[in-house]
Amino acid sequence: MHIIVCLKQIVYTYARTGFDPDRQFLAPEDEIICVNRHDEAALELALRVKDTIDNTRVTLLTLGPLMAENELRRCLALGADRLCRIDLEGELDPWAKARVMAPFIREMRADLIFCGKESLDRRNGQVGALLARELGLPFVSAVSGLTPSKDGLEMRVERSAGRGTREIIACPLPALFTVEWGSAEPRFPAYPDKIKARSLPIEILTWEGEKPPPRLIQRRVFPPRPRPKNIPAPDSRLSASERIRQLLAGSRMEKKGLMLTGTPESQVEGILSFLRDHDFLGLKTREKDKKENGN
Amino acid sequence: MITALDIFLVAAALLVLGAGFWVRSAPWRAGRPEDRPGDWSGLLTYLLSHRAILRRGGRGTAHLLAFWGVLIPLAVIILAQFRFLMPSGLSLGLSLLLDILGFLALAGTLFFLGHSVRSSETGGPRRSLPPLLILVFILVTGFLAEGTRLRIDPPEVLWASPVGWLTSSLVPGSPLFMQLMIRSHFFAVLLLVAMLPFTFFRHLAAASLNVVYKNRNPKGALNPTRLGDETPGARTVRDFTWKQLLEAEACVACGRCEAACPASLSGKPLSPRKIMGDILNQMEGSRSRTDDQIPLLEESVSDDEIWSCTTCLACVEQCPVFVEPADKIMDLRRYRVMGRGKIPREAVPLIRNLELYGDAHGKGAAHRLDWVFDREVPVAGDRGSGIPLLLWVGCAAAFHPRIGETGRALLKILQAGGQDFTILGPEEICCGDPARRLGEEALFLELARKNLERFRRYQVREIVTLCPHCYNTLKNEYPRVAADFFPDDGPVPQVFHATEYFLSLLEAKRLAPAFPYKKKVALHDACYLGRINGVLDPPRKLLRSLPGVQLTELERNARDGFCCGGGGGRMWLPEHQGRRINHLRAEEFVRSGAEVLATACPYCLIMLEDGVHSVQAESPPRVADVVELVARSLR
Repeated sequence: MHIIVCLKQIVYTYARTGFDPDRQFLAPEDEIICVNRHDEAALELALRVKDTIDNTRVTLLTLGPLMAENELRRCLALGADRLCRIDLEGELDPWAKARVMAPFIREMRADLIFCGKESLDRRNGQVGALLARELGLPFVSAVSGLTPSKDGLEMRVERSAGRGTREIIACPLPALFTVEWGSAEPRFPAYPDKIKARSLPIEILTWEGEKPPPRLIQRRVFPPRPRPKNIPAPDSRLSASERIRQLLAGSRMEKKGLMLTGTPESQVEGILSFLRDHDFLGLKTREKDKKENGN
Repeated sequence: MITALDIFLVAAALLVLGAGFWVRSAPWRAGRPEDRPGDWSGLLTYLLSHRAILRRGGRGTAHLLAFWGVLIPLAVIILAQFRFLMPSGLSLGLSLLLDILGFLALAGTLFFLGHSVRSSETGGPRRSLPPLLILVFILVTGFLAEGTRLRIDPPEVLWASPVGWLTSSLVPGSPLFMQLMIRSHFFAVLLLVAMLPFTFFRHLAAASLNVVYKNRNPKGALNPTRLGDETPGARTVRDFTWKQLLEAEACVACGRCEAACPASLSGKPLSPRKIMGDILNQMEGSRSRTDDQIPLLEESVSDDEIWSCTTCLACVEQCPVFVEPADKIMDLRRYRVMGRGKIPREAVPLIRNLELYGDAHGKGAAHRLDWVFDREVPVAGDRGSGIPLLLWVGCAAAFHPRIGETGRALLKILQAGGQDFTILGPEEICCGDPARRLGEEALFLELARKNLERFRRYQVREIVTLCPHCYNTLKNEYPRVAADFFPDDGPVPQVFHATEYFLSLLEAKRLAPAFPYKKKVALHDACYLGRINGVLDPPRKLLRSLPGVQLTELERNARDGFCCGGGGGRMWLPEHQGRRINHLRAEEFVRSGAEVLATACPYCLIMLEDGVHSVQAESPPRVADVVELVARSLR
């Protein structure tokens, strides 16, 4: 059996700690480069099939420039046999991605194709379904378990239909399944396999011809408001708009007030001296008045 | 009179002794090579003082008596076979000494014999029964022979052989009986000598050798493992070095490790003694087998056992002959994690967080500075190269909400002391301790390399850490990593723990604790600070310097301190077997009657706060870091 697992390399934004609205409140350290988590779960299900059926090959397929090489090789070390990358630069919408990947997958003659449910960076969740359409294959989403039939022509597919409902579906092969993170806990790679995976080549597949035209056109992106952070109140001397901007950016503010610590006695002493220094008690004014009256 | 037959018998016994030890030592001599300097004079002082053995009073004293009480008379009697003249005063003195020593040896041996008879464990003291019986026989026949000699030929001075004089009234005055006793005494000695390598008494050689080659590296530094094409860690006994196998041979199964091990005491399946016994059994069993035939270590040591270890090194501290079971457990973990990809599932997210985000909490570099709130803290990235003092914050202070408080207290003290410090901020990543203690050596090396590169880039000279685990890793483990990655560099930065550093500030009168804290404070020693790195006094002195603080000690304190249960990656693993270690420690604290539990470790703080709240749910006592208490009393 030949299984293809589609892996997406993503730039995952886990925080928004920047200050600049134009850069969508992103700081350079707010992002990590990794393999889409849902795809990792898909790989785990593929490897479980490999564990049960002899002579199964697992091919990993990724699209676009090489970003997360270490993570891809880690996936390879988990038990996959090949790692292929379709070399195509530039942004692609889900339709174009499916159109690009379909001919390569058809050529590889896979019996099973796995995709993640969606990617953590874009969350379109369409590539799997569109790919099945391009290839003309049956498509099952939210797969959580697989049992091959005796003749190997069919799969009993367990899928989670939401709210704890589970469905068992009989699906003829070849087919395309999408998997959600959490339905299969990925395994842990052994060190010798990691070393082996380090030296395996990444096969490069080149897309010849025109880039397929996009059908989805992104008009505008609204960045999310940064998550509120535990910060002291903004300085009240700033203008309202400035204060709102700082709160939106979740900025770290300098506290301008004077904090008194220590025993109650010393704190009282501190408050009194503060009041005296700034003449909030009106002592100096009174003295001045006295002098003026005296004169 | 020595006859030719006697000489022949002595030679035969010595031959059996030598051949026996040669055969016995073959398995451990075949262990993997390891470069270890030996120190023979250290053995002499060790035996003379018996200090490590005497730490356990009763048995230690019995050992001291039996050891010298047998060795000295043996040497004297052997020498006495060569005829030479001795002043009569000296010979009388020697005779008295021998009598007393022999009597004390008998007492010591009988003590062990009683211990052995009472014990019901198969792998424990019971196995020392046969050689001990022979030893008692030797001592008794010796005295009987002496008594008979004195009866037959009463000497002029009686005080020189008091025990002989006592026995002389019990024995018949027949020369035949005397000869019988002398002969059986002599044969029993030869028998014992010939038996040495094959009985429990082989520890005379193995344990002594282990003392000679004892570990002289910092105790907290783990040995690196083989990486590359070979399997990491220990799959079979053949993956251990000769020194590690020698330790298995040297272990006398006295059980001191077990009596101190938090895992054993809390009812978990781990016993350091059993681990050493398992290794010894496999070593003996795989003597003449090929590599594919020998059993795997995991056949005798289960997953639950190796994952129960908190790497607190109480076993290493307690061992009278410097056996280090923790080191073997680490190699077993390494094989299981790196060689097989088998790791407790609860630890996987931790490892992934370290791989992807570089911290133990998975919050990422973007949130590394959240803990400082509005404090002004110089960050290395803004400051540039040439940092005199780096504050190593650690993942706990940066991300754990409770430990963040400790971190801010630390800032207050550093600022009060007028220190010019810097933090790495977003560039700091985990020191690698959890990864390494969980068996992920390659990940540890990667994290360590990245951190060391930052130390080089910013030319860090001194580091102060809040967490004893970071402290141990940076201080004891990074120099070796640095020597591998950057061999041409100078020394790595000097590392201090916060309590050490603050004590130096206090002694330089740069800190002046002013506000009183009228509480009875008990100190919990963090394993990685107290036992492993010997930082025992600084937290105590800091606490004593606070006005009003009344410092008390827990039952198990200082080097014998009891683990909180959070070390060795256990912080991230579930504790579903036996009792919880932090509850045991919290109960000990509640028994002590103190009002506040102070510690100097984020792990201990988290574990013990949890434990104290569980043990005493209503009005739980305060658990605080020493740093917090110091900061509290500063103006």
